[in-house]
Amino acid sequence: MSVHPVPSEFEARTNAAFDAIIWAFARPGLMQKLPEAGMSQIVEALIDRECSVHCQDPDLAEMVRRTGAVMVSPDDADHIFVTDVPLTLLDQVRCGSDLHPDDGATLVVDADLSAGARLRLTGPGIAGDVIVTVGGLPGDFWPRRARAMRYPMGFEVLLVDGQRLLGVPRSTTVEVL
Amino acid sequence: MTLHALTKPWEPMSYGFLDASAKREIRRKMIKAIAVPGCQMPYASHEVPMARGWGTGGLQVSLTLVNPSMRVKVIDQGADDSVNAASIRRFIARVAGTPTTMDTLDADLIQSRHRIPEEVLREDQVLVLQVPNPEPLRPVQPNMSIARQMHADADYGRMWLQLYEQIVRSGRVMQGASYPSLVHGRHVMTPSPIPRWDVPKLHMAKHLTILSAGREKRIFAVPPFTRVEPLVFSDVPYKVEDHADLTCHRSGTRGFFMNEIPQDDGTSVFEVSDSAWGVKAIRRRDGEEVALGETWYKNGKMPS
Amino acid sequence: MAYVATRGGERAIEQSQRLFKAELGDITPERVAEIRSAMPYLIDRVMGEASLYDEDLAALALAQTGGELYEAVLLLRAWRTTQPRIAVAEPVTQDALFTHRRISAAFKDIPGGQVLGPTLDYAHRILATEVLDGQTHRPEPVEPAAKPAPANQPSVAAWQAENGLLRAAVPDTQTGNDIPDVTREPLLFPAKRAHTLQSLARAETGGVLALGYAAQRGYGQAHPTVNELRLAEAEVVVTHPRGTQFSAGRVKVSQAEVVSKKGEQLELGFSATLGWNEVKVIAAATLDLNSKSAPKGSATEEEFFLYHTEGVESSGFCIHFKLPHYVTFQSSLYAMRDAKAKKAAKEKSAEPAE
Repeated sequence: MSVHPVPSEFEARTNAAFDAIIWAFARPGLMQKLPEAGMSQIVEALIDRECSVHCQDPDLAEMVRRTGAVMVSPDDADHIFVTDVPLTLLDQVRCGSDLHPDDGATLVVDADLSAGARLRLTGPGIAGDVIVTVGGLPGDFWPRRARAMRYPMGFEVLLVDGQRLLGVPRSTTVEVL
Repeated sequence: MTLHALTKPWEPMSYGFLDASAKREIRRKMIKAIAVPGCQMPYASHEVPMARGWGTGGLQVSLTLVNPSMRVKVIDQGADDSVNAASIRRFIARVAGTPTTMDTLDADLIQSRHRIPEEVLREDQVLVLQVPNPEPLRPVQPNMSIARQMHADADYGRMWLQLYEQIVRSGRVMQGASYPSLVHGRHVMTPSPIPRWDVPKLHMAKHLTILSAGREKRIFAVPPFTRVEPLVFSDVPYKVEDHADLTCHRSGTRGFFMNEIPQDDGTSVFEVSDSAWGVKAIRRRDGEEVALGETWYKNGKMPS
Repeated sequence: MAYVATRGGERAIEQSQRLFKAELGDITPERVAEIRSAMPYLIDRVMGEASLYDEDLAALALAQTGGELYEAVLLLRAWRTTQPRIAVAEPVTQDALFTHRRISAAFKDIPGGQVLGPTLDYAHRILATEVLDGQTHRPEPVEPAAKPAPANQPSVAAWQAENGLLRAAVPDTQTGNDIPDVTREPLLFPAKRAHTLQSLARAETGGVLALGYAAQRGYGQAHPTVNELRLAEAEVVVTHPRGTQFSAGRVKVSQAEVVSKKGEQLELGFSATLGWNEVKVIAAATLDLNSKSAPKGSATEEEFFLYHTEGVESSGFCIHFKLPHYVTFQSSLYAMRDAKAKKAAKEKSAEPAE
């Protein structure tokens, strides 16, 4: 058996991107860093022909299409990539079922992680609580998110600001300060 | 489009054995597992070049996470030199070019069967536990579809009843390893067949634990700082194996989980189960400078 | 130095593999070719259970494992999982199968005729011991029939459906990548029809036989009649990215329909697999037939037989019990001793004072 233990550039990048993603969800509120800026990093690491995707940005949508994923409306999507969050979106995102909480979607959103509303996060992955600043989302994003979910049903939110990444899994309680 | 566009340049084997699509599926399921701590997420569980039941679930997680700068430690029953641990470690190093270690402190990723090391894991470390049977309800409900519905309903009555019956019949809960535990106050999970001794190490831990059952195709997780509470009645406290006062006959270390070694004369001696810890204790005793990490148990007691 | 982490484990596993391989000797292209040509039914069985159709790889897997079937199938499955999926073939329809053998136990004769084809069914099972005395056992030449049997025939169930004896299966409209694939997603229950048929197709022959036989003996609710058993070859038609369809080759397939009377209708059980393996498809079709009305937890319930006939999983789990379990055992010992001590203490305190 011949072996190539050298990762390709693609493998190295997606491995690093996923490293950022997994720790973003394992440690909500702690800023993680993607290998390169933008949502395309997340598409590469997670999306392929087994996925149903809703995507706003036309360039990113083209990239998603090339992975073989099916493009669908938000309520059918297991992954949603949005730059501007429409008000009604959070009522459409798939939450899975009690039987299959894993059917809940992953929502990837462009956000401003330097300025904006101050949020207190509590829940698994957080020692006590953590305060973060998140801007660029509609005013009622967080209360709407809370109303849309009934744990263990729910969806995951990944906030992307360039290379910076913040994860808010459904297990996280978000309080707007 | 051409046929060429559908394929990729020929490689004898993908980096880390699993191809990109297998890795992506495991990544997506790992995210959900972390988001709903203790909840079993089904995944495709591809075949790997090892027999099912021999750590294929843990292996798939490790192969998805590794990169050439990640230092890997593999243990079986606490020992790095156990044959299957050696086999898995060699495989990971071979297909992913990762450096390996036996020292818990040096490891970035630890794949383990049936033990959690005695030294406290840090927040940058990932523990991957191999899981033979992911369903804590199986003793009371072997049918997976019904058990799944019970988890959906948080219907753990029969689980409690079984524990109660054991107390009535035997004066104590007879469950040894794989002690069912409530995660984040919602899902009952098997911590994998780790001894009772190790279960408290998962509670509000700093490290990330991923549990993966390859044959049964289920993945679940305990993120850092997550409640993991063994199912106990308030008037019958959880008790770990009484190894607090045992001394390892080789290293002299005391107050850790031990292997019992029967002797010809009918007695037993003990040796510490965490082999890397035992080795370090011996080396330090022999005058070498060895870094010993902080341990979860102190003087045989888990500080609460 | 006694306890310094030895590399003993690694040396031991290396040498144990050498011992196994030493017995097999050199694996040569000739040996692989001989296995392939001499053992077509074994090759078929292995390809079916591996769900990988490649006679050379199957022969190589058998050579490499010395005929340890579970190991051979695992080897092929592990290889299969690394292969890219570049196309999904067109569905194979029954009337398009190039049929070698097609028999029905339900009717004395069927449209297209009973075609016995290659079989040992009516052979007297006598060992050709003269071969061991140095003689060559040379098969008698086949005498072709005056009129060849038709190569293409619809299934017997299709005729029954036309005649109102059974409800024809609802055609599955899913195509291409949308067809659920049990190798790329977990099997959940109630199982998707595609998952059920795929799982049976790759199930372990002996396991399917054991459970199918149990159902046939009376642990199932339905008594099967073999409606049709067919050994055939199927064209694998794929679409080139340019849009043209072409045959990538032929694969051997087996399929079985079994029926049982349910009220005024016949109920149908079906199974098909890669390669020619009659026992497997009849037993699997029997399980399929019985699963519809099976009580939860019975051996004919889908969850029960699909989980327990998965050969790579079941054999792997079975042999995993060879792995050390001394940590779990130690934990149980503690619970046992503690319970015993508690009981002794209780009995002592309950003893009447002298």
